[in-house]
Amino acid sequence: MNTMEERLWSYIDGTCTEAERRAVEQLIAGDTAWRSQYDELMSFELQLSKMDLDEPSMGFTYKVMETIRTDYAQTPLKATINPRIIRGIAAFFVLTILALVVFMFVTVPVSHANVSATLPEHLKLPKGFDLSIVKNYVSGSVLLKVFFIVDGILALFLADAWMRRKRQQKQALRP
Amino acid sequence: MQSKLSDIELITQTLGGDQSAYADLVRRHQRFVFTLAMRFAKNREDAEEIAQDCFIKAYRSLASFQRQSKFSTWLYSIVYTTSMTFLRKKRVDTDSIDDENTYIQLENQSSGFKNNMAETKSRSFYLNQAIEQLLPDDAAIISLFYMGEQSLEEIGQTLGIEPNTIKVKLFRARQRLKEKLEKNLKSEVKELL
Repeated sequence: MNTMEERLWSYIDGTCTEAERRAVEQLIAGDTAWRSQYDELMSFELQLSKMDLDEPSMGFTYKVMETIRTDYAQTPLKATINPRIIRGIAAFFVLTILALVVFMFVTVPVSHANVSATLPEHLKLPKGFDLSIVKNYVSGSVLLKVFFIVDGILALFLADAWMRRKRQQKQALRP
Repeated sequence: MQSKLSDIELITQTLGGDQSAYADLVRRHQRFVFTLAMRFAKNREDAEEIAQDCFIKAYRSLASFQRQSKFSTWLYSIVYTTSMTFLRKKRVDTDSIDDENTYIQLENQSSGFKNNMAETKSRSFYLNQAIEQLLPDDAAIISLFYMGEQSLEEIGQTLGIEPNTIKVKLFRARQRLKEKLEKNLKSEVKELL
Protein backbone atom coordinates (compact mmCIF):
# COMPACT_ATOMS: atom_id res chain seq x y z
CA MET A 1 0.00 0.00 0.00
CA ASN A 2 1.69 3.16 -1.15
CA THR A 3 -0.48 6.09 -2.04
CA MET A 4 -2.51 8.14 0.39
CA GLU A 5 -5.76 6.94 -1.21
CA GLU A 6 -4.76 3.27 -1.02
CA ARG A 7 -3.82 3.60 2.64
CA LEU A 8 -7.03 5.43 3.42
CA TRP A 9 -9.19 2.82 1.70
CA SER A 10 -7.42 0.07 3.66
CA TYR A 11 -8.14 2.04 6.83
CA ILE A 12 -11.82 2.55 5.92
CA ASP A 13 -12.28 -1.11 4.88
CA GLY A 14 -10.52 -2.28 8.04
CA THR A 15 -8.05 -4.40 6.09
CA CYS A 16 -4.87 -2.71 7.32
CA THR A 17 -2.67 -3.84 10.21
CA GLU A 18 -2.97 -2.40 13.72
CA ALA A 19 0.27 -0.37 13.29
CA GLU A 20 -0.89 1.01 9.98
CA ARG A 21 -4.30 1.88 11.43
CA ARG A 22 -2.67 3.94 14.17
CA ALA A 23 -0.33 5.66 11.69
CA VAL A 24 -3.25 6.62 9.41
CA GLU A 25 -5.26 7.89 12.40
CA GLN A 26 -2.38 10.18 13.34
CA LEU A 27 -2.06 11.45 9.78
CA ILE A 28 -5.80 12.19 9.57
CA ALA A 29 -5.65 14.04 12.88
CA GLY A 30 -2.54 16.09 12.05
CA ASP A 31 -2.52 16.65 8.30
CA THR A 32 -5.22 18.68 6.52
CA ALA A 33 -4.58 17.02 3.14
CA TRP A 34 -5.10 13.59 4.69
CA ARG A 35 -8.17 14.83 6.58
CA SER A 36 -9.71 16.29 3.42
CA GLN A 37 -9.06 13.12 1.39
CA TYR A 38 -10.42 10.97 4.20
CA ASP A 39 -13.64 13.00 4.40
CA GLU A 40 -14.11 12.74 0.64
CA LEU A 41 -13.58 8.97 0.63
CA MET A 42 -15.87 8.48 3.62
CA SER A 43 -18.60 10.44 1.85
CA PHE A 44 -18.11 8.28 -1.26
CA GLU A 45 -18.19 5.15 0.90
CA LEU A 46 -21.46 6.30 2.49
CA GLN A 47 -23.08 6.89 -0.88
CA LEU A 48 -21.96 3.48 -2.13
CA SER A 49 -23.34 1.69 0.90
CA LYS A 50 -26.70 3.46 0.45
CA MET A 51 -27.18 2.33 -3.14
CA ASP A 52 -30.53 0.78 -3.98
CA LEU A 53 -30.92 -2.69 -5.38
CA ASP A 54 -32.73 -3.22 -8.68
CA GLU A 55 -36.10 -4.90 -8.56
CA PRO A 56 -37.00 -7.73 -10.95
CA SER A 57 -40.51 -7.99 -12.44
CA MET A 58 -43.48 -8.73 -10.18
CA GLY A 59 -43.89 -12.34 -11.24
CA PHE A 60 -40.22 -13.25 -10.95
CA THR A 61 -40.55 -15.77 -8.09
CA TYR A 62 -43.65 -17.29 -9.71
CA LYS A 63 -41.81 -17.75 -13.02
CA VAL A 64 -38.83 -19.43 -11.30
CA MET A 65 -41.06 -21.77 -9.30
CA GLU A 66 -43.18 -22.61 -12.36
CA THR A 67 -40.06 -23.57 -14.32
CA ILE A 68 -38.89 -25.72 -11.41
CA ARG A 69 -42.32 -27.40 -11.15
CA THR A 70 -42.38 -28.10 -14.89
CA ASP A 71 -38.85 -29.49 -14.74
CA TYR A 72 -39.77 -31.68 -11.79
CA ALA A 73 -42.88 -32.99 -13.54
CA GLN A 74 -40.79 -33.94 -16.57
CA THR A 75 -38.27 -35.93 -14.54
CA PRO A 76 -38.41 -39.57 -15.70
CA LEU A 77 -39.87 -42.08 -13.25
CA LYS A 78 -36.51 -43.87 -13.13
CA ALA A 79 -34.94 -40.75 -11.54
CA THR A 80 -37.72 -40.23 -9.00
CA ILE A 81 -37.72 -43.77 -7.60
CA ASN A 82 -35.98 -43.91 -4.28
CA PRO A 83 -32.82 -46.03 -4.69
CA ARG A 84 -33.48 -47.52 -1.25
CA ILE A 85 -36.60 -49.24 -2.62
CA ILE A 86 -34.57 -50.76 -5.44
CA ARG A 87 -31.89 -51.91 -2.99
CA GLY A 88 -34.63 -53.39 -0.74
CA ILE A 89 -36.07 -55.40 -3.61
CA ALA A 90 -32.59 -56.61 -4.57
CA ALA A 91 -31.87 -57.58 -0.95
CA PHE A 92 -35.18 -59.51 -0.79
CA PHE A 93 -34.28 -61.52 -3.88
CA VAL A 94 -30.75 -62.23 -2.69
CA LEU A 95 -31.98 -63.35 0.73
CA THR A 96 -34.69 -65.55 -0.82
CA ILE A 97 -32.15 -67.22 -3.09
CA LEU A 98 -29.74 -67.72 -0.20
CA ALA A 99 -32.52 -69.19 1.98
CA LEU A 100 -33.46 -71.58 -0.80
CA VAL A 101 -29.86 -72.65 -1.28
CA VAL A 102 -29.42 -73.22 2.47
CA PHE A 103 -32.70 -75.11 2.64
CA MET A 104 -31.64 -77.25 -0.29
CA PHE A 105 -28.35 -78.17 1.35
CA VAL A 106 -30.10 -78.98 4.63
CA THR A 107 -32.66 -81.28 3.07
CA VAL A 108 -30.39 -83.11 0.63
CA PRO A 109 -29.56 -86.54 2.11
CA VAL A 110 -25.92 -86.68 3.17
CA SER A 111 -24.26 -90.04 2.81
CA HIS A 112 -21.35 -89.37 5.17
CA ALA A 113 -21.34 -91.80 8.04
CA ASN A 114 -20.89 -89.29 10.89
CA VAL A 115 -23.41 -86.73 9.71
CA SER A 116 -27.08 -87.12 10.41
CA ALA A 117 -29.57 -85.57 7.99
CA THR A 118 -32.39 -85.62 10.51
CA LEU A 119 -33.56 -82.45 12.23
CA PRO A 120 -32.49 -81.95 15.86
CA GLU A 121 -35.02 -82.70 18.62
CA HIS A 122 -35.82 -79.06 19.43
CA LEU A 123 -36.64 -78.26 15.80
CA LYS A 124 -40.05 -79.72 15.09
CA LEU A 125 -42.19 -79.17 12.05
CA PRO A 126 -45.86 -78.22 12.57
CA LYS A 127 -48.36 -81.05 12.91
CA GLY A 128 -49.84 -82.17 9.64
CA PHE A 129 -46.94 -80.76 7.61
CA ASP A 130 -45.91 -83.29 5.04
CA LEU A 131 -42.17 -82.91 4.49
CA SER A 132 -42.23 -85.30 1.57
CA ILE A 133 -44.01 -82.68 -0.62
CA VAL A 134 -41.17 -80.22 -0.04
CA LYS A 135 -38.61 -82.93 -0.57
CA ASN A 136 -40.24 -83.80 -3.88
CA TYR A 137 -39.90 -80.20 -5.01
CA VAL A 138 -36.38 -79.82 -3.73
CA SER A 139 -35.05 -83.11 -4.92
CA GLY A 140 -36.83 -82.77 -8.24
CA SER A 141 -35.62 -80.54 -11.01
CA VAL A 142 -38.41 -77.91 -10.59
CA LEU A 143 -36.69 -75.82 -7.90
CA LEU A 144 -33.38 -76.03 -9.68
CA LYS A 145 -34.95 -74.82 -12.90
CA VAL A 146 -36.72 -71.93 -11.12
CA PHE A 147 -33.47 -71.03 -9.38
CA PHE A 148 -31.54 -70.88 -12.65
CA ILE A 149 -34.32 -68.94 -14.42
CA VAL A 150 -34.40 -66.31 -11.65
CA ASP A 151 -30.63 -66.08 -11.71
CA GLY A 152 -30.68 -65.73 -15.48
CA ILE A 153 -33.25 -62.91 -15.34
CA LEU A 154 -31.25 -61.10 -12.66
CA ALA A 155 -28.08 -61.46 -14.74
CA LEU A 156 -29.89 -60.02 -17.78
CA PHE A 157 -31.12 -57.03 -15.70
CA LEU A 158 -27.63 -56.37 -14.42
CA ALA A 159 -26.09 -56.64 -17.88
CA ASP A 160 -28.75 -54.29 -19.27
CA ALA A 161 -28.12 -51.70 -16.52
CA TRP A 162 -24.34 -51.93 -17.04
CA MET A 163 -24.63 -51.48 -20.83
CA ARG A 164 -27.00 -48.49 -20.42
CA ARG A 165 -24.59 -46.83 -18.03
CA LYS A 166 -21.67 -47.35 -20.42
CA ARG A 167 -23.68 -45.88 -23.31
CA GLN A 168 -24.68 -42.84 -21.24
CA GLN A 169 -21.05 -42.25 -20.23
CA LYS A 170 -19.99 -42.39 -23.89
CA GLN A 171 -22.74 -39.93 -24.85
CA ALA A 172 -21.75 -37.56 -22.04
CA LEU A 173 -18.13 -37.52 -23.23
CA ARG A 174 -19.12 -36.57 -26.78
CA PRO A 175 -18.64 -32.83 -27.50
CA MET B 1 -44.26 -11.76 3.64
CA GLN B 2 -40.79 -13.29 3.86
CA SER B 3 -39.94 -16.20 6.11
CA LYS B 4 -37.90 -15.57 9.28
CA LEU B 5 -36.11 -18.88 8.89
CA SER B 6 -32.41 -18.85 8.08
CA ASP B 7 -31.15 -19.77 4.62
CA ILE B 8 -29.85 -23.11 5.91
CA GLU B 9 -33.22 -23.98 7.47
CA LEU B 10 -34.99 -23.12 4.23
CA ILE B 11 -32.51 -25.26 2.28
CA THR B 12 -33.12 -28.20 4.61
CA GLN B 13 -36.88 -27.82 4.11
CA THR B 14 -36.44 -27.56 0.34
CA LEU B 15 -34.34 -30.73 0.26
CA GLY B 16 -37.10 -32.39 2.27
CA GLY B 17 -39.48 -31.68 -0.62
CA ASP B 18 -41.02 -28.35 0.47
CA GLN B 19 -40.91 -26.18 -2.65
CA SER B 20 -42.50 -23.20 -0.89
CA ALA B 21 -39.32 -22.96 1.24
CA TYR B 22 -37.34 -22.48 -1.95
CA ALA B 23 -39.80 -19.80 -3.08
CA ASP B 24 -38.94 -17.97 0.18
CA LEU B 25 -35.22 -18.24 -0.65
CA VAL B 26 -35.87 -16.85 -4.14
CA ARG B 27 -37.86 -13.92 -2.70
CA ARG B 28 -35.08 -13.23 -0.21
CA HIS B 29 -32.22 -13.14 -2.74
CA GLN B 30 -33.92 -12.15 -6.00
CA ARG B 31 -33.18 -8.41 -5.76
CA PHE B 32 -29.45 -8.82 -5.33
CA VAL B 33 -29.18 -11.65 -7.86
CA PHE B 34 -31.05 -9.49 -10.37
CA THR B 35 -28.87 -6.45 -9.58
CA LEU B 36 -25.71 -8.50 -10.03
CA ALA B 37 -27.01 -9.91 -13.32
CA MET B 38 -27.75 -6.33 -14.43
CA ARG B 39 -24.07 -5.48 -13.95
CA PHE B 40 -23.23 -7.98 -16.69
CA ALA B 41 -26.25 -7.95 -18.97
CA LYS B 42 -26.89 -4.16 -18.92
CA ASN B 43 -30.58 -4.64 -19.78
CA ARG B 44 -33.52 -5.84 -17.71
CA GLU B 45 -34.72 -8.64 -20.02
CA ASP B 46 -31.37 -10.40 -20.20
CA ALA B 47 -30.70 -9.80 -16.50
CA GLU B 48 -34.02 -11.38 -15.57
CA GLU B 49 -33.26 -14.38 -17.78
CA ILE B 50 -29.84 -14.80 -16.14
CA ALA B 51 -31.32 -14.43 -12.65
CA GLN B 52 -34.02 -17.03 -13.36
CA ASP B 53 -31.45 -19.39 -14.80
CA CYS B 54 -29.31 -18.99 -11.67
CA PHE B 55 -32.15 -19.86 -9.28
CA ILE B 56 -33.06 -22.92 -11.35
CA LYS B 57 -29.42 -24.07 -11.43
CA ALA B 58 -29.14 -23.50 -7.68
CA TYR B 59 -32.29 -25.56 -7.07
CA ARG B 60 -30.97 -28.45 -9.16
CA SER B 61 -27.65 -28.56 -7.34
CA LEU B 62 -28.92 -27.60 -3.88
CA ALA B 63 -28.04 -31.05 -2.53
CA SER B 64 -24.39 -30.43 -3.45
CA PHE B 65 -24.22 -27.18 -1.44
CA GLN B 66 -21.62 -27.97 1.24
CA ARG B 67 -22.82 -25.39 3.82
CA GLN B 68 -19.22 -24.40 4.55
CA SER B 69 -19.85 -20.94 3.11
CA LYS B 70 -22.92 -18.70 3.16
CA PHE B 71 -25.70 -19.68 0.76
CA SER B 72 -25.49 -16.17 -0.72
CA THR B 73 -21.78 -16.64 -1.54
CA TRP B 74 -22.54 -19.95 -3.26
CA LEU B 75 -25.49 -18.41 -5.12
CA TYR B 76 -23.46 -15.39 -6.25
CA SER B 77 -20.76 -17.67 -7.65
CA ILE B 78 -23.50 -19.28 -9.77
CA VAL B 79 -24.61 -15.79 -10.87
CA TYR B 80 -21.04 -14.91 -11.80
CA THR B 81 -20.40 -18.05 -13.89
CA THR B 82 -23.83 -17.85 -15.55
CA SER B 83 -23.29 -14.18 -16.39
CA MET B 84 -19.83 -14.86 -17.80
CA THR B 85 -21.27 -17.64 -19.97
CA PHE B 86 -23.96 -15.20 -21.08
CA LEU B 87 -21.34 -12.60 -22.00
CA ARG B 88 -19.30 -15.16 -23.93
CA LYS B 89 -22.42 -16.17 -25.83
CA LYS B 90 -23.18 -12.56 -26.62
CA ARG B 91 -19.56 -12.12 -27.74
CA VAL B 92 -19.08 -9.01 -25.68
CA ASP B 93 -15.44 -8.09 -25.24
CA THR B 94 -14.96 -7.46 -21.54
CA ASP B 95 -11.16 -7.41 -21.60
CA SER B 96 -10.34 -3.89 -22.62
CA ILE B 97 -11.87 -0.56 -21.68
CA ASP B 98 -10.06 0.93 -24.65
CA ASP B 99 -12.17 -1.08 -27.05
CA GLU B 100 -13.55 1.28 -29.69
CA ASN B 101 -17.14 0.09 -29.42
CA THR B 102 -17.11 0.33 -25.65
CA TYR B 103 -15.80 3.85 -25.97
CA ILE B 104 -18.58 4.81 -28.36
CA GLN B 105 -21.12 3.15 -26.08
CA LEU B 106 -19.82 5.05 -23.07
CA GLU B 107 -19.86 8.31 -24.98
CA ASN B 108 -23.48 7.74 -25.99
CA GLN B 109 -24.45 6.84 -22.46
CA SER B 110 -22.67 9.92 -21.23
CA SER B 111 -24.51 12.27 -23.58
CA GLY B 112 -27.83 10.62 -22.74
CA PHE B 113 -26.91 11.00 -19.12
CA LYS B 114 -26.38 14.75 -19.52
CA ASN B 115 -29.80 15.09 -21.15
CA ASN B 116 -31.46 13.36 -18.23
CA MET B 117 -29.65 15.33 -15.56
CA ALA B 118 -32.44 17.85 -15.16
CA GLU B 119 -35.05 15.10 -14.78
CA THR B 120 -33.71 12.78 -12.13
CA LYS B 121 -31.32 14.13 -9.56
CA SER B 122 -31.00 11.23 -7.20
CA ARG B 123 -27.56 10.27 -5.91
CA SER B 124 -28.35 6.61 -6.30
CA PHE B 125 -29.30 7.23 -9.92
CA TYR B 126 -25.95 8.89 -10.70
CA LEU B 127 -24.03 6.15 -8.96
CA ASN B 128 -25.94 3.43 -10.78
CA GLN B 129 -25.34 5.20 -14.08
CA ALA B 130 -21.61 5.36 -13.37
CA ILE B 131 -21.53 1.69 -12.29
CA GLU B 132 -23.25 0.71 -15.53
CA GLN B 133 -20.36 2.33 -17.40
CA LEU B 134 -17.77 0.21 -15.59
CA LEU B 135 -16.44 -3.10 -16.81
CA PRO B 136 -18.62 -6.02 -15.64
CA ASP B 137 -15.93 -7.31 -13.24
CA ASP B 138 -15.47 -3.90 -11.60
CA ALA B 139 -19.22 -3.39 -11.33
CA ALA B 140 -19.66 -6.88 -9.86
CA ILE B 141 -16.95 -6.36 -7.22
CA ILE B 142 -18.45 -3.03 -6.12
CA SER B 143 -21.95 -4.52 -6.03
CA LEU B 144 -20.84 -7.59 -4.07
CA PHE B 145 -18.92 -5.47 -1.55
CA TYR B 146 -21.48 -2.74 -0.94
CA MET B 147 -24.85 -4.27 -1.86
CA GLY B 148 -24.21 -7.95 -1.25
CA GLU B 149 -22.39 -7.23 2.01
CA GLN B 150 -19.73 -9.77 1.09
CA SER B 151 -16.27 -9.72 2.64
CA LEU B 152 -13.13 -9.71 0.48
CA GLU B 153 -12.71 -13.45 1.20
CA GLU B 154 -16.29 -14.17 0.16
CA ILE B 155 -15.93 -12.13 -3.03
CA GLY B 156 -12.74 -14.10 -3.69
CA GLN B 157 -14.72 -17.34 -3.34
CA THR B 158 -17.45 -16.06 -5.65
CA LEU B 159 -15.10 -14.93 -8.40
CA GLY B 160 -12.46 -17.60 -7.83
CA ILE B 161 -9.74 -15.01 -7.08
CA GLU B 162 -7.39 -14.53 -4.10
CA PRO B 163 -8.68 -12.03 -1.46
CA ASN B 164 -5.55 -9.87 -1.87
CA THR B 165 -6.21 -9.56 -5.59
CA ILE B 166 -9.82 -8.65 -4.79
CA LYS B 167 -8.54 -5.89 -2.48
CA VAL B 168 -6.50 -4.40 -5.34
CA LYS B 169 -9.37 -4.86 -7.82
CA LEU B 170 -11.81 -3.19 -5.42
CA PHE B 171 -9.46 -0.23 -5.01
CA ARG B 172 -9.13 0.17 -8.79
CA ALA B 173 -12.87 -0.29 -9.33
CA ARG B 174 -13.60 2.51 -6.84
CA GLN B 175 -11.07 4.75 -8.57
CA ARG B 176 -12.64 4.10 -11.97
CA LEU B 177 -16.08 4.73 -10.52
CA LYS B 178 -14.95 8.07 -9.15
CA GLU B 179 -13.48 8.95 -12.54
CA LYS B 180 -16.77 8.09 -14.24
CA LEU B 181 -18.69 10.22 -11.78
CA GLU B 182 -16.29 13.11 -12.29
CA LYS B 183 -16.58 12.77 -16.05
CA ASN B 184 -20.37 12.58 -15.96
CA LEU B 185 -20.98 15.30 -13.40
CA LYS B 186 -17.87 17.48 -13.78
CA SER B 187 -18.01 20.06 -10.96
CA GLU B 188 -21.20 18.65 -9.48
CA VAL B 189 -19.38 15.56 -8.25
CA LYS B 190 -18.20 17.40 -5.15
CA GLU B 191 -21.76 18.38 -4.43
CA LEU B 192 -22.91 14.80 -4.87
CA LEU B 193 -20.31 13.39 -2.55
